[in-house]
Amino acid sequence: MVVESRMEKRTEPALSPLLLAMRGIVKTFGRSRAVDGIDLDVPERAFLTLLGPSGCGKTTVLRMIAGFERPDAGEIRLDNTPLADVPPERRPVNTVFQSYALFPHLTVHDNVAFSLKLRGGVSDIGVRVRRALDAVHMADFGDRYPHQLSGGQQQRVAVARSIIAEPRLLLLDEPLSALDRKMRGHLQIELKALQRRLGIAFVYVTHDQEEAFALSDIVVVMNKGRIAQKADPETIYSRPADSFVADFIGNSTLVEGRIQARHGDRATIETALGTITAPAAEGLAVGDAAMLVIRPELLSMRGEGSATFTGSVGHSVFQGERSMVGAEVGGLALRFPAEAPLSVGTSVALWLDADRSFITRIAA
Amino acid sequence: MTFRQRHLALPVAVAIIAGCLAPLAVLVAFSFYEVEEFDLVPAFSFRAWGELAVSATDWFLIGKAVLSGLTTTVFTVVLGYPVALALTRLSASAKGLAVIVLLTPLYTGEIVRIYAWRIVLGGEGLVNTVLQGLGLIDEPMKVLLFSPFTIGLVLTYNNLPFMVLAIWVSAEMVDRRLIEAARDLGARPVDAFFRVILPLTVPGLAAGSLTVFALSAGEMLTPSLLGGTSGSTAMALVDNLFGTAFDWPLASALALALLATLFLVASAMAGLMLRLKGARAVIGRA
Repeated sequence: MVVESRMEKRTEPALSPLLLAMRGIVKTFGRSRAVDGIDLDVPERAFLTLLGPSGCGKTTVLRMIAGFERPDAGEIRLDNTPLADVPPERRPVNTVFQSYALFPHLTVHDNVAFSLKLRGGVSDIGVRVRRALDAVHMADFGDRYPHQLSGGQQQRVAVARSIIAEPRLLLLDEPLSALDRKMRGHLQIELKALQRRLGIAFVYVTHDQEEAFALSDIVVVMNKGRIAQKADPETIYSRPADSFVADFIGNSTLVEGRIQARHGDRATIETALGTITAPAAEGLAVGDAAMLVIRPELLSMRGEGSATFTGSVGHSVFQGERSMVGAEVGGLALRFPAEAPLSVGTSVALWLDADRSFITRIAA
Repeated sequence: MTFRQRHLALPVAVAIIAGCLAPLAVLVAFSFYEVEEFDLVPAFSFRAWGELAVSATDWFLIGKAVLSGLTTTVFTVVLGYPVALALTRLSASAKGLAVIVLLTPLYTGEIVRIYAWRIVLGGEGLVNTVLQGLGLIDEPMKVLLFSPFTIGLVLTYNNLPFMVLAIWVSAEMVDRRLIEAARDLGARPVDAFFRVILPLTVPGLAAGSLTVFALSAGEMLTPSLLGGTSGSTAMALVDNLFGTAFDWPLASALALALLATLFLVASAMAGLMLRLKGARAVIGRA
């Protein structure tokens, strides 16, 4: 056993499996700082998502990795090689554009073959195009022109075109945003499966947190050109680093308060809705202003002991499998799911699962 | 008869028939007339067509018109394409200014421009004076004015705006993200040009080429006023036959032969360019 484990150790790669490293990246457009000093690591084979509202700088980060924008400061290394003087065409990185950017004058086959034809000397172009189109279930569409395809089909072709040259890193700029909800769901599953099968690292840009959670190993939430939080989806969801992250993901209600006591990784916060003890972000000390994050699923209309909050129904939205209710409690609207719609004005008692809620920092 | 969208084309159809096909029919008729003692006599005579068929001068002039049209087209493409591409890079306000600059010469009128060229290119003109002043030449260069060079230069100058405008509009329509996509997929800037930008601007190239070819092949004033001894054109001959020589049948036959030749060449150009891949992207979409 001992020998075996030592042998296992030896098969570990000697170098860190770090694929892309960005350090101190700054990019300014005119007077606005699109990217304001970020550090970002992308490990090999990772599915990393840059998540944030429009204008947060996520697309600029992607464009700097692709080589379409030059950082004003900082360094980008791929496979430990600085990329500063490498033009886009020489980077082992390919992009799936938001608009797909398929060449309208070329057939699907010629679009996908584009990068191989440029290289010259590739003898098995036909086979590889076929394989790439197979991977996205578009093998029968080689003779079509882009304008003869639906949005979802164009998206698949764009993916096939960008993976055929076997890049080290695939960049995807909101690739599903133009599609309807159902098609988006299908393609999310396909993209994830494709990424696992190819073993290529993906850097994916989206403003849709559900999409980010569904696809990613690592989610990087960006706000105003900076990284607000970088973690796995579960951590982002259950322990948002600050009130911006908490607000951006999910339907949480944020309740402002002040830390009264701190014991280990838990804290007691005094809010307008009462005093609550819950897990808390590191570094929050007694006296600090902080934010209690109440996610909808942590509120229930049943519970033991006395109810945490009491209030009345302010609105109720039927969503099919359940209803989303907003309860007026102490001037705040607490969102929670109910099995059936409730009529406005009904008084409700709510129990909070405080152990699973979170007290976080207030975003700058 | 219900009103449909295609009926909107009726006024144009009427105008074409009245203004173009009818006069052509008249020309065809005249070409079979006879001239007797300074009078046009309706007769079914092949005299004019027979004379035209064996006239080396007439066919030389028709060929010269085709050649002049083609060379002007090539020159304006080569000079105009980079200008058109550069225009797409300008800011919106700079584009407005650039178009004004581009079109201003067209507003000055052909005769004014022709005499301006005489001043610029003449023996004591701007170019010769400057070159002599710099000591680069001892004698004024005679080739500048009243030569085939002059005709080529001025026809290119006159027609450049039409070519630039046509290519420019086409180049503006090329989505910049397509160029980024090409770069991303391994294309150097020169590859992106030949594989993406050039194919997608074929419609503009075609429109510009057909316009410039038609305008320059049929040009008469510039060659006769600036071309000196090399300035004879088929057009000038037609003018002469209709006017001083009073041989309307021959003038009609020559005009028809010139028209048919130019039409054939232009159709061949259009056919060739529409075969290119880029044209499909725009025209083949229907």
